Amino acid sequence: MYGWFEENGLLLGLALLDGLAYAALVFMVAVGLNLVFGVLRVLNVAHGSLYAIGAYTAASLGLFLSARGLPEWASLAVLVVAAALVGGILGPLIERLLLRRIYAQEPVLQLLVTFALFMILEDAQKLIWGTQPVQNDAAMRLLGNFDVPFAGDFIPFTAYQLFVLPGVAVATLVGLAWFLRRTLTGRVIVAVTTDREAATAMGIDASRIYLLTFTFGAVLAALGGALSSPTASLVPGVGAQTIVLSFAVVATAGLGQIEGAALTALMIGLSRSIAVYFMPEAEVLTPYLIMVAVLLIRPQGLFGAAETRRV
Amino acid sequence: MSDVLLSARGLRLAFGGVKAADGIDLNVMRGEFLAIIGPNGAGKTTFINMTTGYLRPQAGTISYEGAPITGMAPRRIVARGIARSFQLPQLFTEHTVLENAALAIAAREGPWSPLKPLLRPAWREEARDLLERFGLSAIADARADALNEGARKLADIAMAVALKPRLLLMDEPTSGVAASEKMQVVETLARVLRAAQVTAVFVEHDMDVVERFADRVAVWSQGKIAALGPPAAVLADPEVQREVIGIERHAAA
Repeated sequence: MYGWFEENGLLLGLALLDGLAYAALVFMVAVGLNLVFGVLRVLNVAHGSLYAIGAYTAASLGLFLSARGLPEWASLAVLVVAAALVGGILGPLIERLLLRRIYAQEPVLQLLVTFALFMILEDAQKLIWGTQPVQNDAAMRLLGNFDVPFAGDFIPFTAYQLFVLPGVAVATLVGLAWFLRRTLTGRVIVAVTTDREAATAMGIDASRIYLLTFTFGAVLAALGGALSSPTASLVPGVGAQTIVLSFAVVATAGLGQIEGAALTALMIGLSRSIAVYFMPEAEVLTPYLIMVAVLLIRPQGLFGAAETRRV
Repeated sequence: MSDVLLSARGLRLAFGGVKAADGIDLNVMRGEFLAIIGPNGAGKTTFINMTTGYLRPQAGTISYEGAPITGMAPRRIVARGIARSFQLPQLFTEHTVLENAALAIAAREGPWSPLKPLLRPAWREEARDLLERFGLSAIADARADALNEGARKLADIAMAVALKPRLLLMDEPTSGVAASEKMQVVETLARVLRAAQVTAVFVEHDMDVVERFADRVAVWSQGKIAALGPPAAVLADPEVQREVIGIERHAAA
């Protein structure tokens, strides 16, 4: 065992750091998906498209603005602005024009409708951004590298992936938990989730809460995408990959879990990353193996109770 | 003569072949407690649902304080001053009793400053005062899903009262409450509602409760009002006894 570590220790360290950064992105997407499902009761397949469009928009907006003299230090802010634009515009449009017509419908129909939307948005991305990779790593270059001490050695790793991604994910986790449990709007969201009819009887405008929640989830997905954009070149299909992995996280954690989704994203992110370094052929399979194993033992997910709170 | 608070005229609503409302005419007088009795399926809850905007009548009109409210959305009707409680208490089980009450206050006070806490000092105080009036202070911090049925009913109605309605419609406020608790629950209710000058319409199956607390009683039968008047007279009517109360007693047995 000692010998193995001597040989592979740095690789393992790198895998853990990669996994952490990856888990942060997956969490952002999964928690939004989970929130939207918990409140609206619609499993939104197009959530992955919001991630992809957030990523493409952030990369393009950054390239567009820096070509017009935007200082480099602003490239981080561009990511957030792009996410707010994408989520803030597409979110309300999707909820008002599409989802609100299918709340009362069968889950199968809801899935088909959001899947259709996903297909449309996938093609829209190809029409707008083409099929060639789009890349803009300005935000990552801006922050440079950081030497992470590990097992008596140092691993150079980008400060962006090391600090920004996990930092935003933790802020999202803490902020969301505070928002839902402490603020008035959060408590109203939970109330509408518990019993829409009773909330309406008190004069609460449940449809506004749905709009607000969906838009919020859309911004989170777009933010996940935007934050991922400096770390990879964007190609068609990035949305599909993300949504499937987010489903795995949500199913493994249990529906409606926030902290549970964070832990599960971490678990799945790390194990996938370890697979990438040590058993590349199992990379794609690992998250789903974990999901299947968990669901065989606990059908309600790691942290879900049989029928419990949904946000 | 006291003035009319709510007026229903010619309400009709059929579900398939079942006439849940078959020409309902009813005036609810300001300040009265009006009990609605009748067998299951007679259309009692349908009347509450039409009055509160949950169902739209196929014909007829409902006016409140002289203005039409027929077919308005529930939350607009709430804003006019009509609140309701459901047969099954609709408390928010994720919240404490105090938070439930504060949510109702928040809903009444809207629009919100979204990031402020729910339990801000003024609302916390009002919620505590409300629970005190309902005798629920001891369980203010309990989660709503931990209460017994009597407390759940009272907490549910407390939330409706927090909306400061002038008219409150209650669907079976005592159903599911243990017999030993029932009179106490109704006494509390009557005391709070009279003090707050709330007019009350309530569906009730317990004739002792009706006799003791209702100013008038309306007997529902197959979507129609079969009898209307003071409880002593109505409940003594042999036909009412045979058609309605007999069924009730039978059903209760």
